[in-house]
Amino acid sequence: MRRWAHRTHLAGFLACIAAACGTGNRALPSGGITVTDDAGRAVTLARPARRIVSLLPSFTELLFAMGAGDRLVGRTAWCDYPPAALAVPNVGDGMPPNIEAVAARRPDLVVLYRSAQNAPAASQLERLDIHVVVLDLNQLTDLGRVARILGRLTGRERSADSLGQAMDSVASQPPAPSTYSLAFIVWDNPPIVIGAGSYLDRLAALAGARNVFHDIGSPSAQVSIETIAARDPDFVAVLSDSATQPSFAARPEWRVVRAVRRGHFLLLPGQLFGRPSPRVAQAIRELRNRLNGEGGAP
Amino acid sequence: MKYVALLSVALATVAAGLLLGPASVPAGEFLRSPIVWQLRLPRVVLAYLVGGALGVAGVGLQALVRNPLADPFLLGLSGGAGLGAVVAIALHLPGPWALPLAAFAGAVGAMVLVYRLGLIGGTGGAGGELDPRILLLGGVAVGAFAAAITTALVSLAEATELRNAFLWLWGGFSAASWTTVLVMLVYAPLPLAVIAAAARPLDLLALGEEPAQYLGADVRRLKQLVYLAASLLTAAAVAISGVIGFVGLIVPHVCRLVWGRLHRTLIPTSFLTGGILLAAADTLARTAVAPRELPVGIVTALIGVPLFAFLLRRWTVS
Repeated sequence: MRRWAHRTHLAGFLACIAAACGTGNRALPSGGITVTDDAGRAVTLARPARRIVSLLPSFTELLFAMGAGDRLVGRTAWCDYPPAALAVPNVGDGMPPNIEAVAARRPDLVVLYRSAQNAPAASQLERLDIHVVVLDLNQLTDLGRVARILGRLTGRERSADSLGQAMDSVASQPPAPSTYSLAFIVWDNPPIVIGAGSYLDRLAALAGARNVFHDIGSPSAQVSIETIAARDPDFVAVLSDSATQPSFAARPEWRVVRAVRRGHFLLLPGQLFGRPSPRVAQAIRELRNRLNGEGGAP
Repeated sequence: MKYVALLSVALATVAAGLLLGPASVPAGEFLRSPIVWQLRLPRVVLAYLVGGALGVAGVGLQALVRNPLADPFLLGLSGGAGLGAVVAIALHLPGPWALPLAAFAGAVGAMVLVYRLGLIGGTGGAGGELDPRILLLGGVAVGAFAAAITTALVSLAEATELRNAFLWLWGGFSAASWTTVLVMLVYAPLPLAVIAAAARPLDLLALGEEPAQYLGADVRRLKQLVYLAASLLTAAAVAISGVIGFVGLIVPHVCRLVWGRLHRTLIPTSFLTGGILLAAADTLARTAVAPRELPVGIVTALIGVPLFAFLLRRWTVS
């Protein structure tokens, strides 16, 4: 067992060298698959993964979209799309992952989101001889690359490539001329808004709406209501699965914001808008329709 | 003279809070702007009231437990308020005021528990006597217990929203409106008056419980009243603006250094100074990194701690 582990490490090391020589991200002549993940690690599989645990809803959606959904043996509590994903065993909320619950599914590949919180999980799983691929998925532009990497690891390069191409073509679209402005409000007390370094900022731009907090570089930031009122967005967008206005709409201090006073809320369902997903084109279309549908007034 | 200076600094702080903000308000529209009337003014006034309340609560508690480390949040109230807030979010309690009300309920619950722990020699009412040391220990224990339940709820609940409850706990005046100002104006005068009325007995208490008793102070009743008043002020403060540390700890010390130890002056000056510190800190929080905003509790610590260290140096050198 130990020697075997040792040998796979050696293989990983060789694969590393191979990657450095420029042959990375290709199937090795021996039939193995090697990719370099977003943590800079070489991930080598002897054959396409058959038992996958996906630890991010976006990864789950991508795997289903490329036709590898039947290989999933574990998912997070948040993975609720497509409906077939709900039939996959739930291994917890995934942040950070419950190592034992993941290992109990006996996966041959774990797809992990790259974050400081998840870093220890990657090395712990590797110590159990479970292959781990660590990927970034924060922006629209990440979708195509991640789809291709997952395609290679599952041996579904063809459909992953066409999926990746579709994602890249959405990502490289020029932003639609912005007719409306909006602010994404993630939390009301303290007010947290979405900034430029986010998926939603880009999504809004493609749907024809200017994020009034585009000047904030980070994905999200705390601001004051005064700043929101001064930037005066046409719409306040809220991730919400309910059809009623958020409760802060009734608070007097929020009513200084024109869009709140006039009830110009865009209530966006979290499943479609809350994460980068292969349904991005649908999300853009839906946001555009809502802007135009409710946008007669501003 | 010192009072004139204090009053003018107070006025200047409020004026600065009105004039400065992340939005630029044209001078011509200043008196009509809803940003000034509906956002800045209530926010400055509320920050001032909460700062003053925390300052007075700090004076009362430090005199009561005769411990310079006493801070209104040391007595378990922040833990209770945090638990209340997290429960409100986890249960999706409806309504725009659910979160502050639940936080208030949590803080008062923690207060009652600590009070019962601190009562010795009888089960409340006439027989009980508050032991300051047990109050402090009980406060720390209740706070830690509430914090543990809070963290358990956050890690078990299926809502990323709960993370934001912690953001709220770090403190801030985003929820300021004339309604919250009114709530504070109706609520705060009674506990403030109770502490102010206890100024002379609190002076006696500084000599020790027994001497104070001999000099005619009803020590048992005094401790209960001051504890309840200071805790109720802190509970309101945490429900309105989260946990804002250091104001209740530092302000009484600063005022003692400048105005001496008599509570007759210590209580009003602590109110004014606490208000200045918190209103100024909130103005900085809104403007320093605009368009972003800092949690005000971080600013009070950033201003307060170096100031405190400087005072400590002077104190120990002389």
